[in-house]
Amino acid sequence: MSLLSIEHVTKRYRRGRLERVAIRDVSLEVERGELVAVWGARFSGRSTLLRVAAGIEAPEAGSVTFEGRDLARSRNSVLGRGIGYCQLGSSAAQHGLVIEHVAAGLLAQRTVPRQARRRGQELLFRVGAEHCARLECHELAGSEVVRVAIASALVTAPALLVIDEPTSGVDLLERDPLLALLRSIANEGTAVLMSTGDAQGLSGVDRALSMDNGELRGEVRPGRAHVVPLRRADVGVRSR
Amino acid sequence: MSGDHVPRARGVDPGDDPAAGTVLRSQVTCAVLGLVIEKPSHGYEIGQRFERRFDQYMSVGRSSIYAALGSLMDADLIEKMAPRSSTGVRRGAKAGASYRATALGARAYRAWLADRVRNDPQRVAMLGRMALACVHSVEAAMDFIARYEQECVREAQELARPNVDLSSGAGGLSTVLERLLVEERRRMIDAQLAWITYARAELRAVPSRSGRVDALR
Repeated sequence: MSLLSIEHVTKRYRRGRLERVAIRDVSLEVERGELVAVWGARFSGRSTLLRVAAGIEAPEAGSVTFEGRDLARSRNSVLGRGIGYCQLGSSAAQHGLVIEHVAAGLLAQRTVPRQARRRGQELLFRVGAEHCARLECHELAGSEVVRVAIASALVTAPALLVIDEPTSGVDLLERDPLLALLRSIANEGTAVLMSTGDAQGLSGVDRALSMDNGELRGEVRPGRAHVVPLRRADVGVRSR
Repeated sequence: MSGDHVPRARGVDPGDDPAAGTVLRSQVTCAVLGLVIEKPSHGYEIGQRFERRFDQYMSVGRSSIYAALGSLMDADLIEKMAPRSSTGVRRGAKAGASYRATALGARAYRAWLADRVRNDPQRVAMLGRMALACVHSVEAAMDFIARYEQECVREAQELARPNVDLSSGAGGLSTVLERLLVEERRRMIDAQLAWITYARAELRAVPSRSGRVDALR
């Protein structure tokens, strides 16, 4: 049984009479300890796919199961426990100390505050942001924002970490260390599902999926590539 | 096909040194020159280093190494050093002389390397023509692009993540150069992936131009 299984998921957004298909008939699986990257250009549907995978948005068609449970029915019990979703930018926009922000996930689960903060401190050390603990959230900059967000998501020891564009807005020289951190998290057993819009984010991942126009176009594992067969709707009719 | 333009063979800028440009058309010769620049050595030692360094890319015999050394000597890109023992005393005539690069050789090698580090447009032009020969429909073009995309993604995935420990300072300039070369490849791949996105958008518009629009797009 896969840790996360997404089967034939479709998600549309509507505004008035306008409708846009964000993802269409997407299927994928993530195994424990895997580092999976979804590559795609802007508006390819990669961020929607991650939100659906994390249970933040419900699909209109298809199913998402996490550890064999239907995410549509168990979303409240899974999100923040089994699945950690990195809200990049949310920590920077908040007031209060970083350590309080990181510990919030455990406090919400009624963990004793002192234990929650101790665990938060451990996680900050784990992600290389221990120096941020006593900073105000709005004082964070560059990769610190991402590291703190990862620590916040990991504080409840989830089996799956979902992170949308971890290197976006991060200085060039800080990106590889961040990606190496995600690799090490996966190596320790927590699966990581991330999105990326550039080649740098694909280095060293276990699987790379490419998205375009809301659909998965292909999958690359080390030494093996698979191109998703085109459907007629992808290209309309023959041009000649 | 009318109006075809076939790019000329590329090499070191002939304006710099025509002889160097001719000699450096051979990849083996360039590799040998690089080894001599890296460390002055005897012919036999150069052959051994060539095997260790380039064995997985090209397999050549020792005679080719000596031929390359000869052509590099003829073009004044390398020169022989007077054979000396480790104590600095001249050795007999049988002892092989070490080769070292001349200033001209070092300049020519850098020029060749900079030229080759870029994608060779001749290769791209040739691949483009091969693609045109087999792509006669939007479906085929989309399929070709999907496969091209997978190759780009695969290369990005397999690119070694450079040493990320910037604080240690280990490796110095060579580490920085390694990072820069990986970054150069990544940026090339980013450009290719951006082109793929653009190409798909163009191709999706093809049916609408003929009045048959895909209703979902």
